[in-house]
Amino acid sequence: MISEEIIKKIWPRVRKKHLFPEIPIPKVSEGKENVALEMKNKQITINTAFYDKIAHKMDAEEVVEALLDHGISHYTYCPWDFHTHLRLFTEAKRVVKDKERAKRSAGLFMDVVADTYCVKGKKTPLPEFYKQIDKGKVDEVITCLYQRIWGVDLCAKEDEEVVRRLARIPYLDKKQWDKSIQKFARVIKVLLEVEEEENRQEGSQANPMGDHGLDGYTLEEIDQGLRNFANQNVGLKEFKETFEDFKEELKEVGYGMEGGMGRGEGTPLDADLIYYMKLAESYSIPIKKVPMEKRGFLNPHSHSPWEIGRPFQDVDVWTSFGKIMPGITQTWNKIEGSTFGERESIPDCIIIIDSSGSMTNPRKNLSYAVLGAACASDAYLRNDGQVAVYNFSDAPMGGKAILEFTSERAKIYQILCKYFGGGTALNLNELDPLLEASLKPDIFIITDMKITNLGKVIGYLNNIDNRITAVYIGENTYALRFREAMAKKKNISFYNVTKKEDIPKIVLGKIKEYFQGNL
Amino acid sequence: MKNPFDDFRDHRTREREIPLDSIIQSRDRVMSKIIKGYEKLLEEEVKELVWLVQYNTVIKAYTLAEKAVKEFDYRAEDIEEFCYELDTTDKIPYLITGPAGIYISALCNYTQEGEISLKLNDLKTQINLLGYRLPVGKKVIVEGNLGDFTGIGMEGGELVVDGNAKNYTGAGMKSGRIRVTKNIGLHTGEWMMGGEIFVGGRVRGMGKIVDGKVYEDEKLIYPRNYRQSNVYY
Repeated sequence: MISEEIIKKIWPRVRKKHLFPEIPIPKVSEGKENVALEMKNKQITINTAFYDKIAHKMDAEEVVEALLDHGISHYTYCPWDFHTHLRLFTEAKRVVKDKERAKRSAGLFMDVVADTYCVKGKKTPLPEFYKQIDKGKVDEVITCLYQRIWGVDLCAKEDEEVVRRLARIPYLDKKQWDKSIQKFARVIKVLLEVEEEENRQEGSQANPMGDHGLDGYTLEEIDQGLRNFANQNVGLKEFKETFEDFKEELKEVGYGMEGGMGRGEGTPLDADLIYYMKLAESYSIPIKKVPMEKRGFLNPHSHSPWEIGRPFQDVDVWTSFGKIMPGITQTWNKIEGSTFGERESIPDCIIIIDSSGSMTNPRKNLSYAVLGAACASDAYLRNDGQVAVYNFSDAPMGGKAILEFTSERAKIYQILCKYFGGGTALNLNELDPLLEASLKPDIFIITDMKITNLGKVIGYLNNIDNRITAVYIGENTYALRFREAMAKKKNISFYNVTKKEDIPKIVLGKIKEYFQGNL
Repeated sequence: MKNPFDDFRDHRTREREIPLDSIIQSRDRVMSKIIKGYEKLLEEEVKELVWLVQYNTVIKAYTLAEKAVKEFDYRAEDIEEFCYELDTTDKIPYLITGPAGIYISALCNYTQEGEISLKLNDLKTQINLLGYRLPVGKKVIVEGNLGDFTGIGMEGGELVVDGNAKNYTGAGMKSGRIRVTKNIGLHTGEWMMGGEIFVGGRVRGMGKIVDGKVYEDEKLIYPRNYRQSNVYY
């Protein structure tokens, strides 16, 4: 019988063997009899019911040690983090083309890597454990593989060709994991299809070492993993596909239900939104602060003789020869600093984004406009500013979405990701209430400038003195016209975005005059 | 003060050798030999960066390939891996599907295994000329689509393509059997002198056949119902 005492006895030894991983002491539970191990939120749980089946073949301490070696190796080596897990899944799916098979392939691959890492580098009873447990068809093949690559007799019947192919994969070479899992999936694809068919007929058989779900990761790790995945040169389509494959599990672990991402129960997880969010988190756009008020500090300016009744703290001891005497003692006269006494802060921002037909649909391809606007909104939110959004195509005909000033990121992204298509015209009157709702907010406009009423837009922007950051996507005559018309205005900065890498070069609220004043 | 690393004092970092290490080393050795052989072939054959499929060029390239592959031992898995290396790696300077196909054919023809199974479904490029001079007693099973000149000049072997093949399939084959489960392109069996071609799907166009048999969906279409060459169906 596996007891808490056995775990307490073994745990220090196992921890030391794995160089003290930061995971809590494992627990014991009754659990299912066909799954030996579960890992949720870093907590390893060993099912005693599983042990009862092999109790006559193996010592309880050895079973616990083997299971812990397996579980910890997942934590310390493969997959290590959620990003690696996603990567392996995506590569496997490229080959097997099916979500469930890809998950199973990735899970098996991670098992092989983790176990092999453990067997190669540490003293472990894992081989004995695999020899004793009952196995399904695929697990039997994996045991054959272990037999071949570990050089230990595990009493497994070899499927010569399959095992020979699997044994050529460099499991312990992390740099080659992307390629390796493809090879792995290519070989076991047929076996998985057979297993699926058998499961359909005889009922599903669980992986004795537990499934590789998202339970093992914390919400922060999932968030970080998605961020890294979005930045790993995967396109929107691939990100969306992978996200959809994990959507249910993400919901189950509560991702997106807490603050920062769609609050409240029932908020649907939107893959597009998450993609732009994670991508935007990796870019930091600086914002220039604006002078908001006088500083009010008094600076020493000149001397005057001290008189009885004047405060001592203004006495200049150096020119008073150490004496406190009227007429001899000198005090400082102070005046208010006028040059450097300005406190700066970040205003709110109105984001005007073009979602007309000439712009990229953000739900189909990576839209630089949405990414740029997302980065800008993040920059203001990070600095405690609020953001309002005016998303337009043919606004006078109803192609628009307006969001009043808010600091709720998910709401902002929802409006930013809206795509109307069709014509391009701004209803400038609708901007007035937004401009009045905050104290001189910044304006961030991102468009390709192919606006039907561009003349009116130029006129409108010429008449306001808010800081304006105008970002135009691609080069065209309209953008040139806009630039020329606004060239003399000192409160506007222009940026051209033709590729993703141009976005971080945007400096929000940069004003020529402001810089000139400080130089 | 206690040394914080005391707990690790008796930790042994030396890893034990497992058979996987030697398998990977040997695989890497073989792969580098295969790649070297291919590079040598390219050096000789593609000096002008243009490679035309002509009777003489094919024979010359195959002679060079034969010479290169005879020098080392390898298995079917190595051939498959080489196909993927050609497709993805930057280790090999360039992939020219003609010489690559001839080289892969030579690898298949000279491996010690009688049956060679190549899972090429995930290749981005289609390999041409695969199955060239496949001799008696050899069977090559390919999962995935192949390019032009598949199974040309076959010499009694069996080539199974679980997918499509393009134009000039079986051209100049002397004997043996080609089985394509899906469709096949134009000029099928051009100057074919013997052997059989079985096509599970459609034959897009026939070549000028000298002798041999062509089946479409289990029905004999040559010689019984001979179609005009390059007729589009």
